[in-house]
Parts: sequence; structure tokens; C-alpha cells
Amino acid sequence: MHNHFRTASIALAALALLACGQLSAQSGAKKSGTIAITGGKLLTVSHGTIENGVLILSDGKIAAVGEAGKVTVPSDATIVDARGLTVYPGLIDPDTALGLMEVGSDPYTSDLSEPSDEIMPHMHVYDAFHAETELIPVARLNGVTNAVVAPAEEDSIAGQDIFIQLAGRDRDAMILGRDIALSMNFGSDQRRHGSQFPSTRMGLITQLRQSLLDAQHYEATRDAAMKKPEKADNKSADKSGDKDGDKSFQRDLKLEALLPYLHGQRPVVVGVYEGYDVESFMKVAQEFHLKVILNHVTRTQEILDEIAAWKVPVIVGPIYDLPRPNERYDAVYTLPAELAKRGVKIAICSGEAGGPGGAHAVRNLPYSAGFAVAYGLPYDEALKAITLNVAEMYGFGDTLGSLDVGKTANVVLANGDPLDVRTDVKQVYIEGVAQPMVSRQTRLRDEYGK
Amino acid sequence: MLSVVTACLSACVAAGQTANQDLVIRNATVMTASHGTLQNGSVWVHDGKIAGVGASVDAPATAVVVDATGKYLTPGIIDPHSHSALGNDVNEATSPVTPSMMMIDAFDNRDAALYDALAGGVTTELLLHGSANVIGGQAVVIKNKFGLSRDAMIFPNAPQSIKFASGENPKRVYGSRNQLPSTRMGNFEIMRQSFEDAKVYMAGWDAYNAKVAKGDKSAVAPKVDLKLEALANVLRGKLYVQIHCYRADELLTEEAIAKEYGYKIRAFHHGLEMYKVAGQIAPTGTALATFSDWWGYKDEAWDAIPWNAVMSMRAGVRVALKSDSNDHIRRLNQEAGKMVHYGGATEDEAIRMVTLNPAWIIGVDDRTGSIDVGKDADLVIWNVDPLSTYARAEKVYIDGDLFFDMAAPGFGTPHFSGVMHGAPGEGSEDGDGD
Repeated sequence: MHNHFRTASIALAALALLACGQLSAQSGAKKSGTIAITGGKLLTVSHGTIENGVLILSDGKIAAVGEAGKVTVPSDATIVDARGLTVYPGLIDPDTALGLMEVGSDPYTSDLSEPSDEIMPHMHVYDAFHAETELIPVARLNGVTNAVVAPAEEDSIAGQDIFIQLAGRDRDAMILGRDIALSMNFGSDQRRHGSQFPSTRMGLITQLRQSLLDAQHYEATRDAAMKKPEKADNKSADKSGDKDGDKSFQRDLKLEALLPYLHGQRPVVVGVYEGYDVESFMKVAQEFHLKVILNHVTRTQEILDEIAAWKVPVIVGPIYDLPRPNERYDAVYTLPAELAKRGVKIAICSGEAGGPGGAHAVRNLPYSAGFAVAYGLPYDEALKAITLNVAEMYGFGDTLGSLDVGKTANVVLANGDPLDVRTDVKQVYIEGVAQPMVSRQTRLRDEYGK
Repeated sequence: MLSVVTACLSACVAAGQTANQDLVIRNATVMTASHGTLQNGSVWVHDGKIAGVGASVDAPATAVVVDATGKYLTPGIIDPHSHSALGNDVNEATSPVTPSMMMIDAFDNRDAALYDALAGGVTTELLLHGSANVIGGQAVVIKNKFGLSRDAMIFPNAPQSIKFASGENPKRVYGSRNQLPSTRMGNFEIMRQSFEDAKVYMAGWDAYNAKVAKGDKSAVAPKVDLKLEALANVLRGKLYVQIHCYRADELLTEEAIAKEYGYKIRAFHHGLEMYKVAGQIAPTGTALATFSDWWGYKDEAWDAIPWNAVMSMRAGVRVALKSDSNDHIRRLNQEAGKMVHYGGATEDEAIRMVTLNPAWIIGVDDRTGSIDVGKDADLVIWNVDPLSTYARAEKVYIDGDLFFDMAAPGFGTPHFSGVMHGAPGEGSEDGDGD
């Protein structure tokens, strides 16, 4: 029965998609016309709240935003009456495994990490990203329109992240950025237990430092080789290699993958929990001039001023990480507020301690931010921490994260405060296209709710 | 004795009251869980019990008054599925049938998870055996009087529950060792055989008791077998049967086996596919203790939908939310709030899912779980509506005594000082597939 039903529901889904003319990885294939969302309470994120606002979406972008009466509604616009609704930019989760896992306990549906070695910068998440995952519509229904997808935290260098949009005709339309950041980790989870190196934090750090030095050496060697005139007798050279230089030069994809990060061109995102681990890692980061985004930092209460002094952005959380025994119960709950108070640019992620985090719980992203508000984070900062701040950390600040003219029309309409668990999202727009408010779960609900 | 006295003295200072002194919490929005919400309501606590609730109460002038203007008052949150404070002793996974395991033997009353839960308003927990075994051990019910002695934390005279499990966990644990069970067929056949064994055991005792009743002095008592005795107590209806079960087909099979052997199932735990068969389960009276929105963490959680709780409730099943997690236990009020979003539960219905309904599942709903005269004064004062994301438990009372006060220094625990046990861990037995 179980499996039969699944087959049936998949068939049903396919039919529904055909009926909508949206046979695509994650719907949203059609470009929008002009839509005017009127009468809603606009949370712009960048320039405050507009109680009775008008938002014009045109050609997939925000064409106008402002108070009712001050914005001209084009005559050809489809009017969406948003009176009584709250309108805000699509939420962005800074740390997910969307498209890298399906059924949590089933390794055959997961491509989370490559644990054969600790240094794996040449693992590209875009090679595994499964655009058709059932998890994306579930997250989208609660207003999440964009996300960073990163490997799991088993390696010191786990691979390179992607930045996705939670709609699109296929993988290529959904991936807005490839290799946007290097996913790194430091702490107790990356070491190999038993007799294998590295089995200690000393081992992990020395291995990391050696890898970065190797990459620098590789670059110097490569650059020198590329400058040499081509040898006439080198017939066996790889024809696909560089046009200039030594065609016999053998590229090392692993070391090469590190170069943009050694040049500070893109950020490294470091998953680290303990304060003393942050301090150890930052020494290496400073030595190699890495552009750091700290991730988690849920046990760093004693070094918050140091973190602020480094002027690095921080993805804080999951806010639901448990405090240590003999810490006050709110030691982690208050971290976003404590960091923001010190001027740190923060993002908040959706993971949950003990539960299925990372991918299945992405829909709970707004509640994590709301919980930070309960423990002292100003509301506007919380909303930023799941929208504009994330966009800016990953280089999408010009196109995403706020209701501003010219930005991508990723917009959410809800019947109340987006950060409250009781609020129901009514409509999600991605690139100005109204997304079907369905998921595998709504189909099951509707099938059995008859 | 000395330590109890010391604890009481410190509590009295923090709470500004003595154990016998009356307490009035007034001007609160009182969510009673049994008879709606009172605006500007007052609750009078006398001798650890609720003595009055309403627009005004007849408390003596000597009562300590807590002004809760602008705040919310609810019954204490009750978690009907927790593995907190059991260390690493959640599963005696050495045999698929271990009904004589008593979880109280593993209970550590200084575990930090109890404190974290208390600060989330949790006043009562059912600490269950894990789900590695088809028939696990017997639960312990605690009142979360963090800081008191182990014995003082046991819920007095609560019914004894026993944990069963079906589906993936037992078959994975034993199947991976090439032992029975490695399939659902194996799971259920082990149950049936266990009850067949128990029937023989019971018959032996029945025969002996009959002889004794007739005055036969030569009658020799059969051996007491703790395992069979526990199973016999299931058949005798002396134990509340709490079953870990996910899939719709298994919910039906469990009911069929219960009917065949003549016992009642108190509640299905997880039951993520209850929405598919709620109409068939409702007439049995079996309740559901489920997650709000966990899904996808394993195959048998793949069809989980967040509307499960409300859909099942609408079909007539008594529904509670539970944590199964040292994390979620700290914010079950928010999990209840999600039910307003997923399926449109009323605030009353949502609050009941984390108070009165779990109290029923545990079998203590005549004593706690709602704000009614005569019940234990297990109460939580919240800064805002407890169903919102922004709610913080400010004060938590158990039996009328203040056990958590957010404004108090340090841990905010008038009765606890010293060192907590435990490492930060997930405390999740099922959710992460372990």
C-alpha cells in the first residue's frame, strides 16, 4: 500500500504539473507579466515598514515600491489585493543541504560529504544538486525563496557551495551562483578517530596549513610553467590545456580549487562551535588572508568581543543548539542579540538540534529568527538576518534580500508576522511568478483530507 | 532531610512565600485548557492545589500576590515522550523483548536537560524506554521539580506505562545483527509469541491462586519471572501501552493485535501517518502523541505532513504533541502554535495538545494538565501568548511551588544550586533515526 500510494501520488503530481503547463524541476518557468500587490503592509527590510503599500512586479523584477497613492499602478497590471496581509522579501537560508538529501536515513538519497579525505575543496555542490527534490516545495511554502547549499561538516574543507533559487525550470535556472564559497570546518567532528591522521586539533590545523601552502606553491609552479614557451616536441600535451605555456603541465584540481579563496576573492564559511576553536582557526585564516564568514559559533559566549573585533560576518546558530550543562538555559538563545549588539553582521540559519535539520527543517527558518527576537534581537535585525544580510554575505545584495526597485521579484504574502509560528504564508512569488502553493505534503493532505 | 530544609529556605526567599502560604496570580490571560480563556483572570493556589480560578478568587488576605497584568497563564507543559535524564541508558538493546526494564533505574535527577525543559515551562514528563525493542521497558513519570531529590521528582501514584515499538527501529537494530526481527513480520510475530508466553505464565499463576483460595496448603507458587510478569500485566490491563509506530498499516496491525490479546493501547507515539487512518483509529480510543512538523528523516517518516495532528484531531483522535528531543522539549508551546498555522487549530485546541491531552496519555489528567479547582498547581506565567514565537516562560510553578523564575539570578532555579550532569546532546531517540 505504502509504495503503491507513492507511485500514485507521483503520477498525480506529474498530472498537476502538466495541467499547469509547468513541467519543470521546480515550477516557475514562465516569466511574469506586471503584478501590482496593493494594500499590504510592506516590510521592505532596507527602508522600513510601509503600512499601506503598493509593490509593482514587472518582468521578474521589482518595478516600484511605496505608499498607496504615491505609486502609479500600470493599467495592464494584474491587481493582487493584499489588504490584511504582510508583504516581505523572500527568505534566504544561509546554510542548507537542499538538493543533497532526500530521506534522511537513506545514504543512497544523500550526497552530503566526501569523507575519504579531510581536504576536499574540489567537491562542487553543483555536481550533486538534485533540482527535483521534494524538499524544495516544502521550504518554499513557508516563504523561503533562496538558499545556500553546502556539504555536510565532516571535512576540514568540505567543498564549494552553491546559491540557489527555490524555483526554476531546471538545475541551471535554479543555481544562481556556483562555487560561491568554500565550506570549511574546524572542531572535534572532522578528526579521524583511532590511529589515522589527523586525530587531534593539532593534526587538523597542520594539515590545513600544509594544504594552503601547497596551493600557494602550486600556483607559483603553474604560473611559471605557463610562462615558458611551448616545446616543439611536446606532441603528447593535453590539447584541451591552456593555449599558452607548458601544455604538459598537469593541473591539480584540488589545489587549484583553493586559489580563489587564497586570493580573498570569495568567502570561506567556517563551521565552528567552540570559542577556542574559533581562535585557533582565525590564526590560520589571518595568516593566509582568508575572507571569513563564521558559521554556528554557538559556544563562543566568552569571546564575543573578539569576534566583533575581527569584523567578520557570522551565521549564528542553529539557535536551538543546546547550552552546555551548567550554563544558563538561554546561553544560545541570546547569542544573535549579543552579536548584533556588538555590531556584528549576522545571518540566521534553520537547523535544529536533535531533529532533522539542514534540509527538512528549512521551512522553520523564520521561527529561528523570531526566537532570537524573543531573546533580545531587534525585530528588524532578525528579518535582515534571514534576508538582506545573507544576500550581502554571499554577493547577492544587489539583487535579493529587500523590497527595492530593480531587485529580483522574490516576494512573500502572509496573513501576519512572518516570524510567528502561527502565521500562514498565502502566496510566494519568485521572479515575479506566483508559485503553486503545493508540495508533496499538501497533496497527501488533500488526498486523505477528502 | 537537612538538604530538603536548605532547599526550602532558599526557595522561600526567592519566591517570597512559604510552602504553606497561599498564592494568587492575578490579572492574567488565563488559558485553562479545559474551559477556555479568561481575560484578567485570577488563580488562587492553596496547599499546592488550585483553589480558585475566575475573575476574582476568595483567597485570604495573607496570600502572596503575583501581578500578571499583560501576561499569560497556562497549565504546566506536559511532554508525553521524553528520553531526558536517562544518560545513555535509553535502550536495553540486547533483546527485542525487555518489558521488565524500569526507566526509573536510569533516571538522573540532576541532568541539565531537565533544567532546560523547566525553563521552557515543562512541569511533567513521561520518560520512556527507546524504540530499539519491540517490547521495551516501563516508563517513569516525573514532575520537573529540578533541585529536589530523585524521589521527590517522581509523580506520585501515576499509572505505569510500558513502551512498545514497531517499524524500522527494531528491525534495523536486530536485522543488522542478523537476528530476529529484521522485518515488520518479525516485529509483530515477536509480539504475538510474547503474549502467548505470558498467557501460559498467567495460567500457571491463576491455577496456583485458585488452589490457595481453596485452602490447598501444598500448592507451590510458580517462579516469578519479571519479564513474563510484565507481559502478563499488559494482558491484565495494569499497564498503559505506549506504542512507537509510524505507518498507517502498522497502526492498524497494532490495534488488531491489541484486540486479539485483549489489551488497550493508550497512545501511538509519532504516528506520522495517523491522518491516513484516523477514522479507523478514533473509535478505539487510542490517542496520538506526535511531532508537529518533523518529516523525512527516515523512510517511515516520508509521508509525514504537518497537518497530521489537526486532521487526526478533527477525525476524533485525542492528540498531543511531544518532543522526543532535549531540544524541542524546551519549546513545545511553539510546536502547539504551529498547529494554528497547520490546520487551523483554535488556541484552546493547540494549548490542550501540550497540556491536558498529554496528561491523559500519561494517565494524570485528573491531577494536572488544566487550570481547574482541585488540580495540582502546575502553572506557567508567559510574557506573551505562549503560542507565539516570542513567548518565554517567566515563572514555572509545580504543586504551587516556584521552580523557575527567569528574573532570578544564575540559573533562575530557586531550588537548585550546585552542578548539573550530562553533556549537551540531542536526547532524541527516534527523530534522528538512532
